[in-house]
Amino acid sequence: MIELRDVTKRYPASGRPALDKISATVDAGEFVFLIGPSGSGKSTLLRLLLREDVPTAGSIRVDGLDVAKLARRKVPKLRQRIGCVFQDFRLLPKRTVAGNVAFALEVLGRKRSEIDAAVPELLEMVGLQGKAERMPHELSGGEQQRVAIARASVNRPPLLLADEPTGNLDPETSRGIMQVLERINRGGTTVLMATHEDSIVDAMRRRVIELGDGAVLRDEARAVYGVGR
Amino acid sequence: MRPALLTREVSEGLRRNVTMTVAMVLTTAVTLMSVGAGLLVLRTIDDISALYTDRLEIQVALTADVSGSDPDCTGPTCASLQAALQAAPGVGAVSFESQDEAYTRFRELFAGQSVADVARPQSLPATLRVTLTDQEAGAAAATAAVEGRPGVRGVIDQRDVVGTLFDFLDGVRNVAFALAVVQALAAVLLISNTVQVSAFTRRTEVGVMRLVGATRWTTQLPFLVEAAIAGALGGALAGTGLVAAKYAVVDDLLAAIGQAGVVPPVRLGDVLVVSALLVPAGAVVAGITGYATLRAYVKV
Repeated sequence: MIELRDVTKRYPASGRPALDKISATVDAGEFVFLIGPSGSGKSTLLRLLLREDVPTAGSIRVDGLDVAKLARRKVPKLRQRIGCVFQDFRLLPKRTVAGNVAFALEVLGRKRSEIDAAVPELLEMVGLQGKAERMPHELSGGEQQRVAIARASVNRPPLLLADEPTGNLDPETSRGIMQVLERINRGGTTVLMATHEDSIVDAMRRRVIELGDGAVLRDEARAVYGVGR
Repeated sequence: MRPALLTREVSEGLRRNVTMTVAMVLTTAVTLMSVGAGLLVLRTIDDISALYTDRLEIQVALTADVSGSDPDCTGPTCASLQAALQAAPGVGAVSFESQDEAYTRFRELFAGQSVADVARPQSLPATLRVTLTDQEAGAAAATAAVEGRPGVRGVIDQRDVVGTLFDFLDGVRNVAFALAVVQALAAVLLISNTVQVSAFTRRTEVGVMRLVGATRWTTQLPFLVEAAIAGALGGALAGTGLVAAKYAVVDDLLAAIGQAGVVPPVRLGDVLVVSALLVPAGAVVAGITGYATLRAYVKV
């Protein structure tokens, strides 16, 4: 699903590369934690996967697409194959829960009937049945993140990127979010989640890729956040 | 992009940004009105040229003694002037208007006004009227043939009179276009600014659109349509303004200077044609400005 080969990213202003010859492969259907302190290169890597930025060197493949060499007009094709969830939810405040989820399909030009069928299904999957007509500000943080996950998944992308999805949530709520992500993963979606919350990583026991100073420090299956922390 | 979504996005955008949109519509309207006014002045200048091209004459006014003593231009002074004019190249017919004929015409022209009663035949000069077959050369030759000769009080070239009018109209046109250029600059900057603000207020939507893989076209179209609608509204307002200006100001003004049809009236048909052009012009200019702005300043 994701194939990184010697990926390097330098920003003009800084001497040390943000990513230094990173290589890793993530197979379809995996659930992978991307961990590491701030500045370790997690965000840079996610930006490269989304083609918000291009690597200085190396190659990136996502779901068969050569991301670094992708023509600009084909970038939307890539992004349609990647669902995205962020720490700050990024919901549209003036649209209902259902409206927010539907928006992702509307802007892709999907048929109304298709949208009307898909949205309730997704809301049920993230545990928001009965809240379709609520406005985002009427929801708790956890519920808002569920809406964001539903929106990211409604187009059935094969890959879901989550950037600190529990960063704004309390531990109890975070567990709920992790259950939703697990459910999505069980449905066959590859999940790559950047986090620095050790309790979550430790509880899930999934593959862990640890970045530090732009390099892969560790890549272990069924791992914990790390010792001595 | 589906029409329903586009309509919703555009109407939300216009409402959210209403003050900026109004400012943009008004600025565009004033700009396009200046352009439209300039075009109409051009049209009027053409009309006037066509109207006068073969009607302009040289008038040679005779001195009081010749005017008074020679009622049919048979005296030596008058006859030789007439012959000299007739011989000049580019000259058509030379006709004589006696004091009495001038007086009759004067009374007709100013009928009902007190000046008609005050005037006496003796106070009006007899005139040799010269039509021209060649406007430029004929006028010069005729003037040269008689100017300064005995019995000549003065030579009036009607083109000078109309020339003043043309100069005035040229000035109006230049002012209108100069104003239009300055206004256009202001309008373009304002449109650009409006689009940027619009994109900023909708950055969440735009961010989500980009993220879920909406095409660039889908993301940009609402902004372009918004700008084009505001531009078209500006054009429509400018057109309405031009029609209103014709009836409220221009018609009266032209009637005042243009006694006896010196200046043809501005035709409603012309105003409507120009006004109709301003609507798509506004939409296209705003659309292009919006597109350039999105490319240059906004990551859409």
